[in-house]
Amino acid sequence: MNLNDLIAIDELCIRYKVEHTFISSLSESGLIEVISLEQKEYVHCDKITEFEKMHRLYHDLNINLEGLEAIQHLLKKLKELQKSNLQLRNRLNLYE
Amino acid sequence: MEFIDYYKILELDKSASQADIKKAYRKLARKYHPDLNPNDKSAQARFQQINEANEVLSDPKNRKKYDKHGKDWEHAEQFEHAQRQQQQQSGRGFGGGRQQSYSGNFDDDTFSDFFEQMFGGGARSRGTGRSPQYKGQDFNAELQLNLSDVYTSKKHTLTVNRKNIRITIPAGVENGQTIKIKGHGGPGIQGGPNGDLLITFNIVNDTKFKREKENLYTTVDVDFYTAILGGEITVDTFTGKVKLKVKPETQPGTQIKLKGKGFPKYKKEGQFGDLYITYQIKMPTNLTPREKELFEELQKLRS
Repeated sequence: MNLNDLIAIDELCIRYKVEHTFISSLSESGLIEVISLEQKEYVHCDKITEFEKMHRLYHDLNINLEGLEAIQHLLKKLKELQKSNLQLRNRLNLYE
Repeated sequence: MEFIDYYKILELDKSASQADIKKAYRKLARKYHPDLNPNDKSAQARFQQINEANEVLSDPKNRKKYDKHGKDWEHAEQFEHAQRQQQQQSGRGFGGGRQQSYSGNFDDDTFSDFFEQMFGGGARSRGTGRSPQYKGQDFNAELQLNLSDVYTSKKHTLTVNRKNIRITIPAGVENGQTIKIKGHGGPGIQGGPNGDLLITFNIVNDTKFKREKENLYTTVDVDFYTAILGGEITVDTFTGKVKLKVKPETQPGTQIKLKGKGFPKYKKEGQFGDLYITYQIKMPTNLTPREKELFEELQKLRS
């Protein structure tokens, strides 16, 4: 794992003005993946977009962790349905 | 330019209190926030309207000005514009008291011309109550290509925010597929990672073939006699012509598969799908009396 691709949780706490416990809770709920390396904790930079989304929903829209879990689950389903819808639409071209 | 009814957007009447505005805004933001409506352009457009309405109505100065001029805002515009210029020159700007605004990884700064004309850029109160950003903004782009363009991997130069980016689009990319070009979005903030560039492909079929993933489909005419007696035909594939043997007594709608003559498999170099050919038997028309006679003879042999 390239250390340059990892962002320390301490850094995230400062930049996003959040408590360490917020990130721990997200991790415990399976909403973001926290990587432990040499006694330090990180989030992969590819996951920052997802973290920012959770942060917005939690802080801006006042959605609690249980709500975030439910939303995450439904969004995953929605994306799968959108993907399947696109595949079906592309397939429909065969019959037009 | 049309007047925008911000009260209507927030589903409020003019007597709404600041608390009512905040409540209405939150309620609608929960419904239309782009984070909760992925790939939904209409929800994003609605959210931008809601954001703009909140920008005006949650700020007492902006709201007062909006209420004062109402539908006659255009008549007052000239006077206000001069006033605003004066204020900006003296460095004070306009507005600044936004209660709360939701941010996101999308273009939530797109305000209407009406807003820009009435309040000017200085009225935007970025920063107050916004979620802090660290990672740069992701850019979304749509790229239209012909089906024949994506048969092979090709280099394309895209202009994103006045910067040229040269990328290779892998062969076999599908209609509606989105690829991520890491780090080519907006710059990171305070050492944060750059955003990404997300390109969604709109593939237009400029060929006679139909495509489903890596397989291609086409229909070929076969004359009646070749279908009955068998023979050889020449058909077009995506890359050229091939000769095919037609079995005797081939039925209409028979489908044959040409292995490996389909479309390239996405990110699987050297691997191709198949080409499915459906035979359409062309029946003879304008029969001569002699031909008719012979067909009748054939019919008798069968009955």
